[in-house]
Amino acid sequence: MSAAAPGSTRDTTRDDVPPVEVDGVSVAFGAIKALNDVSFTVAPGSIHAVIGPNGAGKSTLFNVLSGVYRATSGEVRFGDAVLSSMRPFQIAGVGVARAFQNIALSGAQTVAENLMLGRHHLTKAGFLSSGLRLPRATREGRVHGERIREIAEFLDLGDKLHTPVGVLSYGDQKRVEVARALCIEPRLLLLDEPVAGMNAQETERMAGAIREIRAALGISVILVEHDMGMVMSLADRVTVLDFGRRIADGTPAQVQSDPEVIRAYLGSGTETDPAEAAAAHTTDATGSPA
Amino acid sequence: MSDTLSAPAGATRTGAAAPARAARSPMRFLKPLLLLALLALLLVLPLYVEEFWLRTGFAVAGAIVGAIGLNLLVGTTGQLSLAHAFFLAVGAVSYTFISGESGGLGTRAVLRGLGLPPIVGMVVGVLLAGLAGLLFSPIAARLRGIYLGVASLGLVFIGVHVLNTWTPVTGGFNGRSVPEFSLFGFSFGNDDPQLFVLGVPFREAERLWYLGLVLALAAYVFARNLLRSRPGRALQTLRDSEVAASVMGVNVQAYKARVFLVSSMYAGLSGVMYALSIGSIAPESFGLTVSILYLAMIVLGGLGSVAGAALGAAFVTALPLVFQQFADVLPLVSSPGEGGIAAGIAARYLFGAAVILVVLFEPGGLAGFANRFRRRGRAPGRGSPSASPASAADRPTDTDPSDPPAQGSSTR
Repeated sequence: MSAAAPGSTRDTTRDDVPPVEVDGVSVAFGAIKALNDVSFTVAPGSIHAVIGPNGAGKSTLFNVLSGVYRATSGEVRFGDAVLSSMRPFQIAGVGVARAFQNIALSGAQTVAENLMLGRHHLTKAGFLSSGLRLPRATREGRVHGERIREIAEFLDLGDKLHTPVGVLSYGDQKRVEVARALCIEPRLLLLDEPVAGMNAQETERMAGAIREIRAALGISVILVEHDMGMVMSLADRVTVLDFGRRIADGTPAQVQSDPEVIRAYLGSGTETDPAEAAAAHTTDATGSPA
Repeated sequence: MSDTLSAPAGATRTGAAAPARAARSPMRFLKPLLLLALLALLLVLPLYVEEFWLRTGFAVAGAIVGAIGLNLLVGTTGQLSLAHAFFLAVGAVSYTFISGESGGLGTRAVLRGLGLPPIVGMVVGVLLAGLAGLLFSPIAARLRGIYLGVASLGLVFIGVHVLNTWTPVTGGFNGRSVPEFSLFGFSFGNDDPQLFVLGVPFREAERLWYLGLVLALAAYVFARNLLRSRPGRALQTLRDSEVAASVMGVNVQAYKARVFLVSSMYAGLSGVMYALSIGSIAPESFGLTVSILYLAMIVLGGLGSVAGAALGAAFVTALPLVFQQFADVLPLVSSPGEGGIAAGIAARYLFGAAVILVVLFEPGGLAGFANRFRRRGRAPGRGSPSASPASAADRPTDTDPSDPPAQGSSTR
């Protein structure tokens, strides 16, 4: 697979991509704090990874960023938009797209139909104009259909556009998930474990695609991922969460040598009460939505 | 390249822009031809068949409209509604009241009616059903699945109560007769004007047949178009995952409210057609059983499929009528009051069995059954003639979406 694609000359950040400022965000479910005063900033046009052990609050953070959960306190800003006080469909409207960890596609619909859903906020056709097939509704569908095809081909899905998603392989479905998010024409792309369950070859392919997306579109990417090799080679900056708290934030190299991070991942041996730690672990497992 | 936004890199990377639909070409020509033939058959039918079949046809057309509307809500969007009978009633009563004449009813109560042209009654009936749906839609937008089903149940009981008690409008528990339909002076009754086509008298049954054909076809085409476009995709995604739909930019509450509105307008039209088909309205025609029968139609036909809803409606509506008509020929089925199983009861046994069979063996309903045959007739590699053999082998034999994770690597 040739990494240097025609058109990938654009290595600059788009000028309409603002930074993402996560400012003191806490999320509580009853007495459980899934996120506790988490702050970090995503520089425009960067690939920013959020890592942490299971139950660290990564998915909760994504749910706050995309408006599925409300922050109990704190604020998330994306330029002028205060994401933490918007509803999910409004967040999509300002150009924030999310690819889900556990594939949330409509299996009975074709790849093209799933991708067209990404164009929802860019199109207008309503019940009446669609039901009556008014010219503007059909024209709209045609114009956006072309863009869909480009994005599908970019992710090697061009020959599967008319295949129902349900019969595609797992790796293909994961790429449809990312393609659908791209169809929103995002300024900020949220990728929730894009290579989970993939083999080495597929992982490499997805990493290449993410690099190209950033290079070609100049958008910001926030990435939640367990695959450390991928995170370290891909990310410009890494935020590490553990038990809902931010324990480190820096370049991949800085984070890798951080003693807090090493302890969170490997344990330190100084843990006096393992039972307590285990209990905290189980009660904190709130991060995975449906 | 696209002018909508900066294009992603490598948009030209894959040279294989597969001519994906080529494999369907023989089917593509055949299908419109078959549909045209079917339409022609339906158009000339009144010249050849008896009145019974035409009347049954109109009743089926009315049910098709209602079932398509309910299927948009239940099958496509995944919102259960038991209130369909209520919206049918709103349409039927509005039509009867608006286009009916004031007049006596026995000695005590007097019926009222506005005496407006029937087309006005029909349109306003649909709009009022829509309005009733709109009033309920704030509730519909906030509830999901079975919870909406239970909440909507209340509407049916309210509807039956109103039908029983609001005598000047509804005729009370005796019901009232429904004014004939007419369009710009052309009556859909038996005469006025007397009409002969190729020597065949065109009376009420023949005229209503065409009315039903037009309305059912319009309802069908509208729903088909809707499902294949932007709102339809949003509704289907909403059914599969509300979170995914909202994150992709769909205002979930607004869409739930809108589909409820559309569904109730379909029900309103269906109610008007039902009233015309029976010739009178009465409270027992709009009870919970009717809601359940409509659910049976769309489950039998295939949830989410417009054609399925039409098939299911035809089956559920026509079967009891046919049983009744041929009670003396059919074994076990008898005319009313003769002992044995009455036609209506026999039909219900059959629905029950059919629903169980469908749920067990073909959850796609009659539409899924038809699809299965269509797929068998087609080349196995549908839609991707240029795909590698590996990707063809990847495809499971049935539509089961579960796929072991490691297979994706073989597609390239």
